[in-house]
Amino acid sequence: MRDRLDRWADPPLLVLASLAEGPKHGYAITQDIADTMVVSLSAGTLYAVISRLESRGLIEPLESDDRRRPYRLTAAGARELAEQSERMNQVASVAQQRLRVNYGWAGA
Amino acid sequence: MSAPRPSRARVAGVLARAALGLYPPAWRARYGDEVRALLEDSGAGARAGASLAWHAVPAWACPPRHLYDRRGRMRASLATVGMAWALLAGLAAVFVQLAQAQGQVQAATLARHPAITWSYWAFDACLIFSVLAVAAGGAPLWLVMLRRARHRREVACLLVPAVVPAGYLVVSVAVFALFRGPVRPVVPWESRSVVDLANGGVGPRWFLALVILGLAAAAVSAAGPGQALRRLRPNGPVVVLAARAAVVAAVTMGLAGVASVAAAVGLYLWAPAYAGYHVAWPLAVYLPAVLLAASVAVVSAVRGIRAADPPAVA
Repeated sequence: MRDRLDRWADPPLLVLASLAEGPKHGYAITQDIADTMVVSLSAGTLYAVISRLESRGLIEPLESDDRRRPYRLTAAGARELAEQSERMNQVASVAQQRLRVNYGWAGA
Repeated sequence: MSAPRPSRARVAGVLARAALGLYPPAWRARYGDEVRALLEDSGAGARAGASLAWHAVPAWACPPRHLYDRRGRMRASLATVGMAWALLAGLAAVFVQLAQAQGQVQAATLARHPAITWSYWAFDACLIFSVLAVAAGGAPLWLVMLRRARHRREVACLLVPAVVPAGYLVVSVAVFALFRGPVRPVVPWESRSVVDLANGGVGPRWFLALVILGLAAAAVSAAGPGQALRRLRPNGPVVVLAARAAVVAAVTMGLAGVASVAAAVGLYLWAPAYAGYHVAWPLAVYLPAVLLAASVAVVSAVRGIRAADPPAVA
């Protein structure tokens, strides 16, 4: 079995990050995540995540006449995303610094 | 965003309907249209269908809190437990009829196989306890619903558990009166199915017909109160009491089912003088049916009691 080293790409974080740009409906979220984060979310995964995030009050649905209901980040969702991003930043900066020192990595 | 091709949209619709059918009704009502729209836009494929089907499992096991209707969950669990319990009771009746056939032939053999004897004891005890739990938990709820019933249809739903079994009993008695032939004596080492040998004298076809009719009657008997629960939407302590009794009834009936399976397997393995039990197909049908119904009953009862006594939120 292949080791999973891409946990940073947790679908809830990806959805929160996508909605940080502004309200989007399901298809727009998957497109944005595919374009900007190069991760493909299936319909089942996306709506499992949306229902959990909505349940935790991190995102909320907006009124829509269409079946394509948009969602937006709530204040709690923005805080959660900020906290998680900060952690990822810390990990990334430590990793990059050590790579530079020990492996001569010049950066992307 | 390009317009989807008609054939793709059709496939998307078919896939979405099929996969969304696996989700709880509350989830479907909230997200169904959005998922269909997403599938139409993105072009549904096997991956999308499989993904939707896979995520239906957690949607049932841990429904999102904002979709969680605690009282509705209890009522739905009670209806499901009732259905699974009734089917298990029907299967238990079949087991009793078939196990009785061993008669004196196996008496000596059974004494040498305590596993079978213990299984019978466990079966009897669990069955009695389960019936008592259903009576204790179900009767108050049934009376409350009967008092609240305003329409003839609601009253009919509530009377189904009395009327349908009575009707089945009449049909069974009529079949036995009309078609019962001489009961074949149990012949040791006769290698015929237990259904051929232990059908009470009406022959295997009538026996199987009565079994199927009996299981259908059990299902209808349970569906009546289930429908009444849906229409009358009772709340309060009687529903909580019924949810608690349902756990006891489901667990004990499940244990009775397991005990009957253990006895049936024991007869298959260790009843050397009665070759009827060595024909495998009745066991191959009975075993998965009992285990499936017992699993449904227990899982649903646990979901109901969790709704009745939700864990404290930290």
